[in-house]
Amino acid sequence: MTKKKEHIAVHAEPVRGGAPGETLTPLVDVYEAPDGSIVLEAEVPGVAGKDIDIRVDKGVLTVEADVRLEEFGEPYAYTYQGFEGGHYFRAFALSDEFDRDRIEASLSCGVLTIRLPRAASARTRKIEIRGE
Amino acid sequence: MTIFRWPSGWDPFLGLRQVQRELERLFGDSVGAAGRQVGGGSYPPVNVLNGPEELIVQCELAGCRLEDIDLSITGETLVVKGVKNPPQDDSKLHYQRRERGVGEFSRTIILPDRVDADRADARLEAGVLTVRLPKSEAAKPKRIQVK
Repeated sequence: MTKKKEHIAVHAEPVRGGAPGETLTPLVDVYEAPDGSIVLEAEVPGVAGKDIDIRVDKGVLTVEADVRLEEFGEPYAYTYQGFEGGHYFRAFALSDEFDRDRIEASLSCGVLTIRLPRAASARTRKIEIRGE
Repeated sequence: MTIFRWPSGWDPFLGLRQVQRELERLFGDSVGAAGRQVGGGSYPPVNVLNGPEELIVQCELAGCRLEDIDLSITGETLVVKGVKNPPQDDSKLHYQRRERGVGEFSRTIILPDRVDADRADARLEAGVLTVRLPKSEAAKPKRIQVK
């Protein structure tokens, strides 16, 4: 049985509040890597590394960024507008089993990857039976 | 107890969610419970800007690498095609949440003017594609001398 696998270690909270056009929710993938760490991948198009704010406070991981798309100024007029910049925000409730000091984040092609390694105390340990 | 799982990588509601996303974009926040979303989906949003000398098309392509994007112009039609690749060993990963979606996408944009495709310039930065398309001479306004 894969009962253990059913346990969801990272809970993604939907964004509350904020009028439309203000807060945008980056879509995320959350998966367990072969080494047991949990990987979050969030789409944050238009974000440069220095503009992103990632923090863990009281077991809640928040990802926040203010995004301004390249602006072209006066002579240009929108013929069609399908997206715009704004405030990206998403929060994740973490369980205690992660080593918060070893959380790593990287940004590539508009995708933010956050790696949450499991704490040594949370790893499954095989217990040898000593005989004789 | 048997737990039924959709095969990983296949999302039966992807089509529906795309429709929902488009509706949310049109009517604001009223359809979905969560705030407006950014990224994901196989229908990347675009902006088209019209300037005196050139057109600018911006396209949101988070997660696409340069080699995954195929851009072509035929007359006044710009086609952005591409693929969002899943991580390597995707089938071995145990997904807890999968919102971004993977796979091919294609978006066709009818440009508001004729452009000079040979002088087009496209750039991908932080998941946003910006294509600058200089207008062709025929599309530019011409001053006519009144005698």
